[in-house]
Amino acid sequence: MTTTLDGHGISIDLPAAWEGRLGVRRSPADTFDRETGVRPRSLAGALDRVAPAGNQGWSGERAQPLVHLANFPLPVDRGDFGSGAVDVMGSGGILVALIEYGAESAGTALFAEQGLPQPLPGQFDPNTLQRRISGQYGYQRFVTVAGRPFCVYIVIGSAAGLGPRTAQAREVLAGTRIESR
Amino acid sequence: MTALVAGLTVLVLVMAVLVAGLLRSHASILRRLHTLDGGEQESSAVSAAPAIRTFPGVPQPLGDPVPGAPAHDLVGRGLTEESVVIRTTGVPHNTVIAFLTSGCSTCQNFWQAFADPVDIRLPGGTRLVIVTKGLDAESPSALLPLAPDWAEVVMSTKAWTDFRVPGSPYVVAVDGPSGRVKGEGTGMSWEQVARLLAQATGDLSYLSDTSGRSVKPVGDAERESRVDHDLLAAGIMPGDPSLYPGVEARS
Repeated sequence: MTTTLDGHGISIDLPAAWEGRLGVRRSPADTFDRETGVRPRSLAGALDRVAPAGNQGWSGERAQPLVHLANFPLPVDRGDFGSGAVDVMGSGGILVALIEYGAESAGTALFAEQGLPQPLPGQFDPNTLQRRISGQYGYQRFVTVAGRPFCVYIVIGSAAGLGPRTAQAREVLAGTRIESR
Repeated sequence: MTALVAGLTVLVLVMAVLVAGLLRSHASILRRLHTLDGGEQESSAVSAAPAIRTFPGVPQPLGDPVPGAPAHDLVGRGLTEESVVIRTTGVPHNTVIAFLTSGCSTCQNFWQAFADPVDIRLPGGTRLVIVTKGLDAESPSALLPLAPDWAEVVMSTKAWTDFRVPGSPYVVAVDGPSGRVKGEGTGMSWEQVARLLAQATGDLSYLSDTSGRSVKPVGDAERESRVDHDLLAAGIMPGDPSLYPGVEARS
């Protein structure tokens, strides 16, 4: 049964057994002093203890939407590029991450490709992984959709069944609609 | 002759009415017996539950939870404004859903138990999800200090309706592959609910080591007490080196 995940001008039809999270990282203003850009010592200490990975930005950063989609239970503690999730996903797992970048990146050479990609099995490679995990294959493209720059990052749990799993990832991307801001 | 025919006709009509009445009465008895045997409820207005009217703005009461009823996926928002879709049906893993509020006093026992997950035991491949009501009834600022960092917290009033949650706290165990509720109930603490879940699912993995330990037979307890008394009377306290001769010899 298809369920729709939407917010921040992004709408995704999730196929059966797929789940997702769509949000914005906690504002870096919570982490840094607005005027000095310095991270308060006490707050930093507290955040280091309790903040999930990916919740800390850099001074002046404007937090952008972040989407995690998976065909396995997503853990609470996840990094932008799925660290924490890829560690627990099985060989049949698929993780799709859409990471939006600042509007100033739209149309630059890195984000020249227009529209969400439709990956092919041969485009997955262990060397594309943010961090190599035995058996896993990765895929990464930087694109601009509706004037918004995104990184599309996909991890597949194993080479076995790479074709069908790539097809599932394509289905998820085909069901993703992004509106201009 | 005419009078005889007329009399017989009247007699046949009266008998027909009597037979029809008996058949109707018999059918009514059979229907009631069928209902008592657990057959399907009649859909007639007579057997339907009386309608409950509430004041404007007061929600209608939910029906009773139905064991084995179809479960539902969880769709809502997280505590930091993210949209959340969590699958509980048609998946290989099972899900335990704890419906809690930030305000109810009994729920505090659950929030405290979840804050220290050491005593939370779940069967392998089972995920715990905490579901609160949505923004219409809950405040993320009140929930953030309560939320554990290891379990997902979803705000979704729809989930409360979907699962016919009668009140809080309430816990539902969902069988992922079948997509059906396999146990549900409430209690004063997670420990109590874990026992309920263990009974409902037949899975003792819900029970922590302490709650699942066997009770020592009375005879053994008495013997242990007598031995302790005799040792104390002889001046041998717990930890006395004479109780561990092997250790002394090795050292």
